[in-house]
Amino acid sequence: MSIMEYNGGAVVAMVGKNCVAIACDKRLGVQAMTISTEFKKTFQATPKTYIGLPGLATDVQTLAEKFRFKVNMYRLKEEREIEPRALAHLVSSTLYERRFGPWFVEPVIAGLDKENRPFICSTDLIGCINFAKDFVVSGTTSNQLYGMCESLWEPDLEPEDLFETISQSLMNAVDRDCLSGWGAEVTVITPEKIITRTLRSRQD
Amino acid sequence: MSVFSTYPGQVIVDNPVSVPIEHRFDPYVDNGGTLLSISGEDFCVVAADTRQSEGYSINSRYVPKSVKLSNKTVISMGGCYADCLTLTKKIQQSMEWYQHAHGKTMSTAAVAQMLSIMLYQKRFFPFYSWCILGGLDEEGKGAVYTYDPVGSYERESCRCAGSASSLIQPFLDNQIGFKNQESNKTKLSLDQVLRITKDSFTSATERDIYTGDYLEIFVITSKGVEVQKMDLKKD
Repeated sequence: MSIMEYNGGAVVAMVGKNCVAIACDKRLGVQAMTISTEFKKTFQATPKTYIGLPGLATDVQTLAEKFRFKVNMYRLKEEREIEPRALAHLVSSTLYERRFGPWFVEPVIAGLDKENRPFICSTDLIGCINFAKDFVVSGTTSNQLYGMCESLWEPDLEPEDLFETISQSLMNAVDRDCLSGWGAEVTVITPEKIITRTLRSRQD
Repeated sequence: MSVFSTYPGQVIVDNPVSVPIEHRFDPYVDNGGTLLSISGEDFCVVAADTRQSEGYSINSRYVPKSVKLSNKTVISMGGCYADCLTLTKKIQQSMEWYQHAHGKTMSTAAVAQMLSIMLYQKRFFPFYSWCILGGLDEEGKGAVYTYDPVGSYERESCRCAGSASSLIQPFLDNQIGFKNQESNKTKLSLDQVLRITKDSFTSATERDIYTGDYLEIFVITSKGVEVQKMDLKKD
């Protein structure tokens, strides 16, 4: 039994043309038993940035609250919103503080910087940042997500096409993972607006 | 315990203690690689990469994983290459016996069942091989049979196995099975299937270290078996 596979979950983020998208499943389980189908793993950090937190559910909740605190403190001190790249480093340091007793999450960050340039990255559970240009995946479904994203993603997708691509990647990947699924939520971030949609998917 | 020496370097103990040492030999080796098979209306495609690895090393860039058994049947095996080789030999020899006894080539369904029995005969020391059998059934339709290492088998429309199977299988569900999308297409042409196969392997090669080098595709139609080879990334 692996701690990262205790609750299950999947998060994926992709870069499009002047937009980013982040998506997660909604299952919360205790090994084989599903406890909740409304456990979303993406959280809004700033008006233009989202963090996805798959992994051990207690750490997902704790870190979501810790990052909310840290982002708020940053805003009070700096009198501006935190940029996605700075948020990535903030997440990385927070995780590395617990290098020898880590938080069991592998976060994904997606957002637009102040010039509305798309930014995504992911980190491992001790804070090593992967600055990807195309897509990042995390959670128990990461292998399946890698396969789907590698085949379906192409550069410069418009927001509507990016939504379709990320939705298909997530839905088909979680259908091959028994610990993820039971609904999905996709957020597309553009300079003008953020649209969050719930997907109609297999409920098993 | 008293210890005395006769010359430098030699130590003699007067009450030696013997401790049992456990010797172990792990009979299985994972040689990696990925294979897939897709069945069509009147054709079947069996594809496999050709890299053979052991841990982080590459044994060879070109060791085919698929073997043509007859004009209608191709088998592909991943896992422990030694077991795959022996299993292939057993199948080929059994097919030859059958040919002499019955005066005809074994049908795909017959080979499928025979393979299942062969695998289960080694239930308590299994062949570490992930088999996929592709071919044409007696009606000329494409058939894919998938196996686990101890012989559980099932006929399916498409399947992938091996190290990158978790990467490719959801893609096949989406593109061949049209899952999670609105579609009224039910049949795919050979061209479409070949494009999906090549895309699957190029994607798998990007993200799986055990997949790469070359891709060998066997296309089985009523005309026979045709082999295509294409390059994959070698890193």
